[in-house]
Amino acid sequence: MATAETDGRLIERVGRGDRDAFEQLYRRFARPVLAMAVRQLGDNGRAEDATQETFAAIWRSARSYRSERGTGSAWLFAVARHAIIDRARQKREHVAEIPEEVSDWAGPAERAEESWLAWRVHSALEQLPERERAVVELAYWSGLSQTEIASYLDVPLGTVKTRTRTGLARLAGLLDEVQE
Amino acid sequence: MTEFRDLVGGDLDPDELERLERVDRILRTVPAPPAEVPGSLNRAVQRIGTERRIWTLRRVAAVAALAATLAALFFSVGRWTGGSAVDYRTSVPLKATADAPRASGQIRIAESDRSTGNQELQLRVTGLPRLSGGDYYVLWLAKNGTYAGTCGTFNVGSGTTTVEMTVSYRLADYDAWVISRHEENAPWLLSARIASG
Repeated sequence: MATAETDGRLIERVGRGDRDAFEQLYRRFARPVLAMAVRQLGDNGRAEDATQETFAAIWRSARSYRSERGTGSAWLFAVARHAIIDRARQKREHVAEIPEEVSDWAGPAERAEESWLAWRVHSALEQLPERERAVVELAYWSGLSQTEIASYLDVPLGTVKTRTRTGLARLAGLLDEVQE
Repeated sequence: MTEFRDLVGGDLDPDELERLERVDRILRTVPAPPAEVPGSLNRAVQRIGTERRIWTLRRVAAVAALAATLAALFFSVGRWTGGSAVDYRTSVPLKATADAPRASGQIRIAESDRSTGNQELQLRVTGLPRLSGGDYYVLWLAKNGTYAGTCGTFNVGSGTTTVEMTVSYRLADYDAWVISRHEENAPWLLSARIASG
């Protein structure tokens, strides 16, 4: 199986004006950015705007990314955080606390950790094969039972369990990678 | 929500079971991601790189139009006689930023031509580094600290460089004059506030 390019490597390619790398990053991070924006702004339209601004900022400033200073995921998290705060400030509205830095929480520790954890999980989900991702998301966030998921996806129950197990194992590896 | 053991079955070795259970605990605390990314967002983000190219082309077109206007003005007002036909009424000193500590400059501004709305400027700059490889400087207007309109582009030689430009903006609508290299987000090198009113 081909190894996926790291986030940092993709950001470096974007810094050299590589559109293909930009599109890969977008596919990998569009949902995590949008999820964070929706949570912080509480409005889908503005969250979409903030997500768009995040990717515009990534395109503009990818050259400034330095892999020795931190992971690509942490850099993208910071860019998204700034874009979301900017969007909130445009309306002079309160923005829920987003951590200043991944390793230097500015707000209450729990809240900061939640934000970063959600980012990591959502980013990792994007790297699962589609059929595993679908099963994991249905299992944890749809409220459907395993039997209902099997029926919904029109696959045997055993397949749902196998995909769930494989998906969780893959997520465990991806989340460990981010922590390293 | 389905119990962890029911999700993955029971036939796993204890280490693997513990590893998966750790992920299970995390997933139970994390909010759901959006079901999908809206098509409108996909389309908007797809335009990001392209817009920049279009913007650059637009800017090139604007510069070309400005150059043509300047050339026309040059020949129509008889500059070749050596005398200046322009009556500059205002002079604005430009302040150097930390990115160009040795630079200085001044913009002289003529009254707006009431029949056309055009306004002539004379820019004098000293101490900016000479650029190479097709690079150039831009004099532009800022609003709330961001780019709002290009006045013209130029390069510098040794000593003081003087260039004349024409703008058709209402200057009171802007906050500041700025000189930077032409690249997007290039640092400000010289600037001056535009007095309101």
